[in-house]
Amino acid sequence: MQIINTQRIGKNIINAIRYSKGSFDLFFDSIRNISVLKIAPVRRVLYKQIYFTGIEASSKIIIIGALIGIVIITQVTNIVGANASLIGKILIWTVVRELGPLFAAIIIIARSCTATAAELGSMKVSREIENLKIMGINPIDYLIVPRIAGITISVFILTFYFQISSIAGGLALSTMFVDIPFLQQLENIFSILRPFEIGISLLKSIAFGMVISTVSCYHGLRVHSSITEIPQVTTMAVMQSLFLIFIFDVIITILSFL
Amino acid sequence: MIKLVNITNECFDSISFEIGEGSICKIITNSEHDKRILMDTVLALRKPLNGEVFLFNKNIYSLPERELLNIMKNIGMVWRNGGVISNLKIWENITLPVWYHKGIKPETIEDSVIEIFKQLGKDISELPEYMGKLSGTLPFHEKRLISIVRAMLMDPELMLYDSVLDGLNPDIAKKVTDITTQFHSKKIGRTSVYISSDEQSLRDIKADIVLMQYRRGLNYEDNKRV
Repeated sequence: MQIINTQRIGKNIINAIRYSKGSFDLFFDSIRNISVLKIAPVRRVLYKQIYFTGIEASSKIIIIGALIGIVIITQVTNIVGANASLIGKILIWTVVRELGPLFAAIIIIARSCTATAAELGSMKVSREIENLKIMGINPIDYLIVPRIAGITISVFILTFYFQISSIAGGLALSTMFVDIPFLQQLENIFSILRPFEIGISLLKSIAFGMVISTVSCYHGLRVHSSITEIPQVTTMAVMQSLFLIFIFDVIITILSFL
Repeated sequence: MIKLVNITNECFDSISFEIGEGSICKIITNSEHDKRILMDTVLALRKPLNGEVFLFNKNIYSLPERELLNIMKNIGMVWRNGGVISNLKIWENITLPVWYHKGIKPETIEDSVIEIFKQLGKDISELPEYMGKLSGTLPFHEKRLISIVRAMLMDPELMLYDSVLDGLNPDIAKKVTDITTQFHSKKIGRTSVYISSDEQSLRDIKADIVLMQYRRGLNYEDNKRV
């Protein structure tokens, strides 16, 4: 019995290279045409995307953020006790540097990556993308550029919401149950928080937003003519986005400590 | 305006024809499939195995993407199934190309839209509610009417009607025939092409050129305008 299926591994590697190249090409095409956001109907698509991806997800992000903050503080105080300085540091390290961008990205992948890939896939099946071309409208300009911009802006904003709510949730819990004055904790947080941490978090959220949006658009456009391809590309978009954001997370984290 | 030279694809063998500026043309194909292949070939969606397609004197299969899109702005396409963008509301669908290409704000063309819908026999009092519906949920013939309005607002030089009268009730079919004929004569040099696999549906269209599919070829039929 063949334990390692080399043919399958080879096929997967070739596909991964093909998808990565396709996604990069799509991303650079979109960046080159970013000026189309000046066109009013394209801006309308951008606003809709920010509304669906950013605004509609904000309440869930805030709740999840606060809950994560509470969990972190509970764990930390159980291990080290009421150490205000350490609690502040751990909140900054975990929430601002790591969890904020990562959790916001994961929630966007669950909500919008699937929706974007499925929507573009069904537009491809029903030949709506061809109809745009026949109207003289470049589908990349009208459909892809505003989606990439909208999802990236949304991940950036939701990361910020997540961080604020997480820190607020953590601080509220420690003030109520751990007996550390709120102002002292706030002072600690601000003394630890450096522009470097904020910069890294900002960089990660933008990178994650670009990855998620490009991958979901690319896979959506990969659909040819059958509706059965839509769930396949949607799953692929989710898995590839998740995989890539973890890779980017590792790269940015390692580079930031060099 | 449209010129096909020795086009060979999966349904046709070496067909050539030319439709000049200002003419009305009917093309009758043997089947829906053959019609779709011919339309796709003319609209640069399906490269033929052999031959060249010229639109506005330009070989469309040798043009860069941006230039091709510029040519497409001058074409008003009315698809049998409407060709609407399903995640846009009816109003957004109608105003999309004119807002996108000409920068005309949708609210400034309300009167023109109402006028066309009135000619198509639509109850004007229902329009405000109708315009807010998502177009993907409409039946095909409704989508086709939206497609007519959308194409006419662009005032193109070339109108292509894909089975525009198929399956319409006689009253609406008469109105569509009248409005498309009137629209043709509103601009000097405008060309209108009606294509269908149902010859009967186009019987009231008075055309200068009639092309009939015979096996894998297309033949001219003399049909002087009455």
